[in-house]
Parts: sequence; structure tokens; C-alpha cells
Amino acid sequence: MESVFVKKKDKVNVKYRQKAENKHLIKSLRRREELAGYLFIAPWIIGFVCLMLGPLLFSLYVSFTNYNITSSMEFTGFDNYKRMFTMDHLFWTSLWNTLYYVLFSVPVTTAGAILLAVLLNQRVPGMKWYRTLYYLPAVLSGVAVYLLWMQLLSPSTGLVNTALSWFGIDGPAWLYDPEWTKPALILMKLWSVGGGMLLYLASLQGVPKTMYEAAEIDGAGSLQKFFHITIPMITPVIFFDIVTSLIGGFQIFQEAYVMTENGDGGPVNSLLFYNLHMWNNAFELFNMGYASSMAWVLFVVVMILTMFNLKLGKKWVYYEGGDQK
Amino acid sequence: MKKWFTWALMAVLIISLFSGCSGSDEKKAEAKKTKDGKVVVDFWTFWGSETRRPIIEKIIDDYNASQDKVFVKHTFLPWGDIWTKNLAAIAAGNPPDVIINDINAVGHRAKNDQAENLSKYIKDDSFKENFYPELWKTVEYKGDPYAVPFNTDTRLLFYNKTAFKEAGLDPNKPPQTWEELESYAEKLDKKSGKKYDRIGFYPLWGSFGADSWMMNADNGQSYIDENGDVKIATKEKVKALNWIKGYNDRIGVEQVNAFKADFGSEQSNPFIAGKVAMMVDVATFYTQIRDYGKDMEFGVAPVPAVSEGEKNWSAGGGFVAEIPKGSNSPKEAYDFIKYLTGTEAQTYWAAQNFDNVANKEAAEKALSELKGTDKEVYQAAVDNMEVTKLFPVPVDAPDYQSKINPMIDAVLLGQRKASDALKDAQKSVEGSIQK
Repeated sequence: MESVFVKKKDKVNVKYRQKAENKHLIKSLRRREELAGYLFIAPWIIGFVCLMLGPLLFSLYVSFTNYNITSSMEFTGFDNYKRMFTMDHLFWTSLWNTLYYVLFSVPVTTAGAILLAVLLNQRVPGMKWYRTLYYLPAVLSGVAVYLLWMQLLSPSTGLVNTALSWFGIDGPAWLYDPEWTKPALILMKLWSVGGGMLLYLASLQGVPKTMYEAAEIDGAGSLQKFFHITIPMITPVIFFDIVTSLIGGFQIFQEAYVMTENGDGGPVNSLLFYNLHMWNNAFELFNMGYASSMAWVLFVVVMILTMFNLKLGKKWVYYEGGDQK
Repeated sequence: MKKWFTWALMAVLIISLFSGCSGSDEKKAEAKKTKDGKVVVDFWTFWGSETRRPIIEKIIDDYNASQDKVFVKHTFLPWGDIWTKNLAAIAAGNPPDVIINDINAVGHRAKNDQAENLSKYIKDDSFKENFYPELWKTVEYKGDPYAVPFNTDTRLLFYNKTAFKEAGLDPNKPPQTWEELESYAEKLDKKSGKKYDRIGFYPLWGSFGADSWMMNADNGQSYIDENGDVKIATKEKVKALNWIKGYNDRIGVEQVNAFKADFGSEQSNPFIAGKVAMMVDVATFYTQIRDYGKDMEFGVAPVPAVSEGEKNWSAGGGFVAEIPKGSNSPKEAYDFIKYLTGTEAQTYWAAQNFDNVANKEAAEKALSELKGTDKEVYQAAVDNMEVTKLFPVPVDAPDYQSKINPMIDAVLLGQRKASDALKDAQKSVEGSIQK
């Protein structure tokens, strides 16, 4: 009797234990999986913390000091920021130059890319060649392109002014005339809209044909179709393009560094962009503290503009999937 | 359990943040040694070209052959990187032992703890007399030397003798004053229609900037004098800037820009191409004429003086050898610097490279090793050291150029009056010097 009872109890115990063990097993399996997951992302996390977050926080701290890499790192409170806003004329010049550049280059390149994409979306024989041709400039990289453009923009023998002279226009001195330096860069940017064009082309092809057909039946012309169907349907991509090229626009540096003499910001500082001024402070004058505070101010400016953009975007961006507010 | 993970992960991240990444802990490493026990002196230069590298390496080899306890290891770094890398290495506590650096910013580096004070190694007071005094002045900060001058340069007027003959000028009488320079320039201009085929002279082409001309006019006084007083809006400098502007007015800004843009890419030098008849450039520009000028007939002369009786002030630059702060073997490093700037090595460098060296005796000695035009130009350069001024970066206003240059641009473009613009520049530089 006893033994039977014991056995029964044992059986129950075994069952219970097995269940518990299973649970335990599952738990430890899950934990092992979790560990594996963390291990797999560890390279990224360690990289992020070491190479991004660490330096980021360090530069935030440094922006309140007079750090110069080698000798000093005293806490100076808001001195750097005060100096920036009240004493450094070049700060305002560089901010203005950068804003000017962003304000003009973003709309112009966006419109240019859309226009190009629409043109390249037509059914014309040899379209593949045209597409490749117009995309090609986006493949060429930085400095080589700038050197090329310096020759194209050469006042007397450059291709741009030569072409203008065919129409009887006496072209400006471009990179030598402070009034024309920034427009020259914007023109150059316009040449390489291929990257943006590609995005628009893809989204243009995603616009359902049925919509156009329906509109045609209702008697819509091609302009009406463009403004009432095409544009609204590709607004998400336009939005994406504007946000990213705005952020990219604020980071303009190389162009001015390469295309001005000694990288000093061009005639009358007309190409002294924010990042160039920051770079000069950091690596020419070793004012790392000041340069860091400039970097954070730029960060805040771009952050505010982007948030503004995101807010504004809700008013005009159309998402097909429905309400995504 | 999950919490345990999170905490462990956080711990790992924090540890990696504070130890792994910031490797700049004060670890005074032992001096590096070769296998046979010699102390290694790491020597950084940017001389990697086919012409310069063998010359500097020969000097190093000679030095190494004479040593049984020290071995100098040459590390070549590209021009664009070397000083930034040096700075990073100093910050990380593991810099090279000797580096070639810019002569004009020695004070700046001394102030910011980037170079070793050499006064404890230079025991001999007469050591500095080996070098041109103007060069030695730049390596001192608060009375102590922080570097030793290595080489220098000086600017001369190069003129095209063939063009002189063509314009009816005596090819053996280069212009002596600004006035002569201007009248020669007009005679040397060659136009077809509205377009210039040759421009006689334009002051800002070559390597003598507006700052140099203003210094030349102001009795050799640069923007900031030795007491730290700002001398930008002086009468002489205003006059000089107006004189430069005069060339823009006569030739036309557009013509100047157009002409300049065509040779701006340095692919074709306008003087060698015969498009500009007179140009002020560094003495070593001669080697380009020699190598690419195909028997061009040219002459060299001191930079014209502002008026008769004034000196032919010229501008120079150069490089120094210094010991970055935190070097592991500064004593050995200094011994090598002494050799590098000594007469033997400097003579070899000067004669092989056709370069102006900082050591006076070596500069004279190199002359005897040169012949013909080489010798003629070198002699002119050595003589020119007398009137050559350097523009050391003022330690209190290292960014002074960025305040002055836009003003000069504005004047030259005709947007502002020279006197007003320079006054503003003066005020702005004075404001940034806070003593």
C-alpha cells in the first residue's frame, strides 16, 4: 500500500518535475538565445558606444572647456557659447553662408531631381541609356568632381561661360566673385541630382496606372495629372529627400575646402561654411573646446529644423496606407 | 534574470566606454630599442618625393653610421596628415621623437605644450649664432628655444629677359622700386584686342601676398610687432593696398580673374609659359624654370623696394626640427637635431636640394658646390636673407589672418576703401588679443 502510494506520489513528482524541468529548459534556452542575440549585436553596440556615444558625450563636455588637445582642459562654463554669439563675426558669416546654401540648394535640387525623374519616366527608345547617362555624375566622387568643376567654371575658358557666350551672355567669374561663389556651388550640386532622381523614378513607377486612367476618363490634362496625382503620390519620397538633403546641406564642407585657395573660405569669406569655420578652429587653431561647442550649436539648429520639417510634413505628405498621423 | 543581463551589459558598456576607448592614460612607455640594444629615435618628415627622400635618408644613414647607441628611424607621412597625426600622437602620449614642423607656429605649439623646451639640452650659448637671427627669433617662446631652424625660403623677383628685350627694356636692369616695377609692367603688357596675351606684372601672382607687399612698404613691419602691438592700419600699409588695387583698376578685376583662373590649377606656371613677364616667388622656383623652362632666359633680383632708399624687404618661411612633447628619448632626439642642423648635413641638403638652409655657414659652403645659373640664383637667395622677414603666428591671436584677409579681398574687389577696411581689421585683431 505504502509503496503504491509512494509510487503514485513519485509519478506525480516525476511528472511535476519534468514539467518544471521543461520550464527550466525553456527558460535557459531562451536565456541562451538572448545571450546569443546580445553577443551578435555586441560588435555594433561596443562600436557605437566607443566610437559614437563616447566621443559624442566627450565633445559635449569639451564644449564647456577650453580643451586644446594637448595642454588645457579647464571648465569655462558657457564662455565658448557666449563668444560664439557675441564676439565671433565669422560664426555669423559662416552660419549665413550655410543657410543661404541650404535654402537654395535643397529646393533647387529637389525640383531638379523630380523634373529629371519625370522626363526619364517617359517611354522613349533608348531610355535606359539616358537614365544611365543622367545617373552617372552621382557615381563620381568628391574631390575629382570639384576639380573638374573648377575648370568648367573658369571665367574665360571654362565650358560654362563659353556656353553662355553662345547666347550672348557674359558669364560671371563664378568662384572668384563673392556674389557668385555660392550660386556656382549650387549649380554644381544640381549636376549630380542623379541619386535623388533614382528614388523619384522608383516611386513614380509605383503610382498606379488606374488613377491616371480614371483621371483621363474624367478629362484631366497631363499637367493636371502631374499636380493632382503624381506629386501627391510621391510626397513621401519628396519628404524623405528634403529631410535628408537638408541635413546633408548643413554639413557642406569639402566643396569649400577644396575649391577655395588654401581652403580659407574663398573671396570675402563667401564660401566660409559653418563646418569649414569649425574645422579651422579645431585643426588649424586647436580650439577644440570652441569647435565642439560650434558642433553642438549646429546639431541643435539641424534638430530644430528637422523637427519643424516632421511637423510640417504631416500637413502635406500623403501616405497611401491610410492615417498615419 | 533579465535584470541580471541588463546590468551585466551595462557594466560591459560602461567599462568599454571608460577604459577601452580612452587609451590616453598616462603610460610613460620605455624608450623603444632595436634588437641590438640601440635607442630608437623616431623621426617624422613629409619628404617622400623621389628627390627629397634619398637626400634626407642619406643624412640619417650618415648619422646612424656614426652612432653605436642610437638608431634614427625615418617615418614618412604625407604633407596633409603629418601635423594632425603628430598632435594626436602627442595627446595619446606616444609622439615621435623628432618632427619637421612649420617655423611660423613654433610659439603657438610651445604655448600649447606640444613641443619640448630645448633650453635644458642647448648648453652652448653660441649655438644660436649658427643660424640666421630672423629664423632663430621664431623658435623662441618666452626666451626659451622650442625648436631648431632647419630650412627656410626667401622670395625674389623673377623676370623674363626675352620679354624685356621685346619691350625695349634693358634685360640687365630689373626694376628697383615699385614705381619702376609699375612702369615696366605697363611696357611688358601685350594685348590682342581686349584680351591680354601677356601681363607684365600682377603683384599677387607668385607667392608674395598682399600681407607681404604691405610689410615691404612698411619698412619690414608685419601686422603685429614684437611687443604684440597691432600695426595693420598704418599709413604705409593703406598705401600699399591701394597700390595693389591700382593693378586691379588698370587691368580690370575680370581680366585678372580670368587670367588667373586659367593658370590657377598649377598645371602650367604662367611665368614659365611666358604669360606673365615678372613674378615674385621663392628662390627654389628656379628649379622649376630650370627643369621645365627649356632654356628660358630669365633673371633674378631682390623684391623692389617701395621707394628709393628703402630696403628690398622680402618674406620667408621654413621648417624646424623639434621634439614633440612627451618623447621617450628627448636627449638622443636633441643630439640628432644637432646633427641635422649642423654644417655638414645642412650643406649636403642645400647643395643637393637647391634649398635655403637655416645654418649660415652651410649656406655659404653650399655655394662653392654649385656652378653657373644654379650658383647665381643661390647667391641671390643667400644675400636676400639679410632682408627676409618671417611672419610668426602671434600666440595671442593665431587666427588673425582670417580677420584681415576678407577685408583685403573686399578692398581689392572695390567694395571698400582701403583705409576703412584696414581700420576695421585692426580693431577686430586688437579685440581678439586679450592680454
